Amino acid sequence: MTAPATRYETIAVALARNLADEEVGYTGLVTGGAAAIFGTSIPVVAMELARLTHAPGLTMLLAGWSHNPDLSRLDTLPESEFDARLCDLPAEAQMVAYPDGWSIRRGDISFGFSSAVQVDVAGNINSVCVGDYRRPKVRLVGPILQPEHMTLFGREYVMMPHHEHRNFVERVDFVSGVGFPGGRAGRRRLGLDGGGPAWVVTPKCIFDFDEEDGRIRVRSIHPGVTPAEVQAATGFDLGDLSRVPVTAAPTPEELDLLRHRVDPRGILLPRPA
Amino acid sequence: MPLRSKVLSLAEAGRRISDGCRLAIGGFAVYQHPMALVRELVRQGRRDLTVVGSVNGNDVDLLAGAGCLRRVESSYVGLEKYGLAPNFRRRVERGELEMVDYPELLSFDRFRASQDRLTFWACDYLGGTDILTYNKDIREFACPLTGRRLHAVPPADPDITVIHAIAADERGNVVVPPRRLLPQSLDLTVARAARRVIVTAEQIVSREYIRRHARWVELPSYCVTHVVEAPWGAHPCPVLGRYGIDDAHFREYAAAGATPEAFAAYLARYVTGPADHAAYLGLIGSSHLESLREAEAQSP
Repeated sequence: MTAPATRYETIAVALARNLADEEVGYTGLVTGGAAAIFGTSIPVVAMELARLTHAPGLTMLLAGWSHNPDLSRLDTLPESEFDARLCDLPAEAQMVAYPDGWSIRRGDISFGFSSAVQVDVAGNINSVCVGDYRRPKVRLVGPILQPEHMTLFGREYVMMPHHEHRNFVERVDFVSGVGFPGGRAGRRRLGLDGGGPAWVVTPKCIFDFDEEDGRIRVRSIHPGVTPAEVQAATGFDLGDLSRVPVTAAPTPEELDLLRHRVDPRGILLPRPA
Repeated sequence: MPLRSKVLSLAEAGRRISDGCRLAIGGFAVYQHPMALVRELVRQGRRDLTVVGSVNGNDVDLLAGAGCLRRVESSYVGLEKYGLAPNFRRRVERGELEMVDYPELLSFDRFRASQDRLTFWACDYLGGTDILTYNKDIREFACPLTGRRLHAVPPADPDITVIHAIAADERGNVVVPPRRLLPQSLDLTVARAARRVIVTAEQIVSREYIRRHARWVELPSYCVTHVVEAPWGAHPCPVLGRYGIDDAHFREYAAAGATPEAFAAYLARYVTGPADHAAYLGLIGSSHLESLREAEAQSP
């Protein structure tokens, strides 16, 4: 008897089904607990599962530079983006300079995964500061590649390891990655032709966007979470959640592939209890 | 007339970096920064530096904690898996350090602009970000050919660049082996962006060695102003092909950054206490350093 899907497995399968053949996906290497699971492990599992099912031609860029690395050679995920172990892992290509053999600006990346400290109702994300920019309560790391993720990539999956009031705010304290202010038309007015957040994925639910009015909305709620819990953890009004579906469960075939082919030794996701 | 050697001591090299200058520091996040020279700048009490960078880490954090900085221009200052950069964070939160934020690719492009002597780099994807709200060095303009709204991003234009490499000869021919990653590649862009370049090297090699490995020489001698021999010169950062990160030291560093008092004790023990780099390495201990060597490291 197969153990039922864990929440992480459910999220990874939902993402895998949203990826298409021949796409190119970009994920960083995030470390530490839930941040690593949302920032790296779930994206890697989703892309590998998609490659084993409906998207054999998908290219995974691990740490943003190692193309389709052979993860079966690893006992643990490397803990840093420019780890010497990752350097020597068999792969299809390594982009180790800037500029290099791809063109990020021309649109070579179909989708990316990123995370942030704050997300707001328009899908703007922030990794620069909490509070006033000049005298912040918390100075964070900086914009990093968020401006590029949210404009130059075809679409973005914003992976949020925590879903609490302080992370989901009416308006972020600093826009380091642009969402849909004013919807798709609003982005065009800002000079942004494509890209933007597709989903915001949290431990409680998956959000997507009404690209007309640009507002975030709950797409599905994970099994075992109530609509009231989602609203209580969110710092803005989500409207009527009574008709929001439950995040679809993985099929037995998907779970079997995930546990025995994608992550046979359990180095990516924790095993069901 | 004999060939002029460009080799300096770390102390002499530190004195070539003056108070108030615009400094680019090689390396990336927690990788391969020229930390021996950064520690020497703290020992010499350098003040009011502007660091122009792309992805910074303990290089900027150490200088911030020691009060050497006035301004930082970068896309990231953090310690990756060791958390936020504690001293940088404290100085910015107190309004003691000016931070100018750039997106990551543009922070690389700023060095490409300097390398090609451009007065700006054009960008079309900044609309809607608060980078435009606060970074007044970026200006909007209309493309003269298409009318498209663009932003002009200023070049990095460092007064001086410091990088750490595996090997160089005493004339400044710098070896960067082909087994490299983004940090090693970006070092070349950052070096080519400056007229004055200091290279600290794990080892000064012979001219004969350089002749045998000419295809690995990525910076020819006329692009390099000074060379310093600094074995373990990136510690506690890793040097690809030589040694890995000193995980225990990074944890100690990050913990010490939690309060100004604890960080002052860190500086006294590891930076201003030891008279020079050799004394620092003695403090870290040769057996500990040897334990960091990359298993597959080949000698140059």
